[in-house]
Amino acid sequence: MTVVALPTAALDLGVLLGDWRNTNADGSLARIVCTPNEQGAIDVRVFGRFDAADEDWGSVPALIYAFTFDDPAAGAFSARFDRGAVQMDLQANVKAGVLVVVELVTFRDDSGRSNFFDREFFRRVNR
Amino acid sequence: MTGSTSRLAERWQRPDLAPPRPRIAIETFAGNWKKTNEKPQWIDSLIVETEGDDLHVTIFGSQPPSPASWGRARAETIYSGSIASGDARAGAFATRYRFDEFDVEVQANLNLGLLVVATFVRFREPGALHDRFTREFFYRVVEGEAS
Repeated sequence: MTVVALPTAALDLGVLLGDWRNTNADGSLARIVCTPNEQGAIDVRVFGRFDAADEDWGSVPALIYAFTFDDPAAGAFSARFDRGAVQMDLQANVKAGVLVVVELVTFRDDSGRSNFFDREFFRRVNR
Repeated sequence: MTGSTSRLAERWQRPDLAPPRPRIAIETFAGNWKKTNEKPQWIDSLIVETEGDDLHVTIFGSQPPSPASWGRARAETIYSGSIASGDARAGAFATRYRFDEFDVEVQANLNLGLLVVATFVRFREPGALHDRFTREFFYRVVEGEAS
């Protein structure tokens, strides 16, 4: 298949930017903060919940996506977080004002924990 | 510690889960899956096959620029629906495809009997089309059942 190569305009990041809080107080992630970066994409900072306390997982650059090939608005992102024995791939998209976040968690140790899939919902409290 | 935070801690820190980690029941994903949407979309259908602990998916596109036949790919990672079991009824798998102009990451998860397939399409060179996310739904084709 051949796709004609033309310059691509940068995506509008507005839908993704902001401070997102988990709608479920018992969720495994507490908060996701999306900020613009110098590459025209976003950095994603995650606050997880380990051992009964919020834990800053740090910030990583995310890959951003539109909902259609010709849509100038970004609506989704993916990002990878590594925390030693735990790797978590986040796949998120905004639907009806809610950030729908898929978490793909992989354990790289000899524990008996299964790699698992989870999905959580976040509401925006600040742009 | 409140009951709530106790549950949070248990979700991730599970010393009670002794190795080896349970086998994920990948057979749960197997079958022929057809799009629920009557209109054209990104993916038309998928075939999921398992052999031992390997899962392979064959994808067929619905309309350009989605290739008509994506070919067969092995799942790189398989996820259960829970940290504590190998039950895949709410699990997922992930794989990737490479085409001439773009790469696609595929993540498929089971949800109430549907296969929910997300794709992340990335062009290697700037062009007329933006990188794109899709999320589409598929039902399991049952032999002999009218569609």
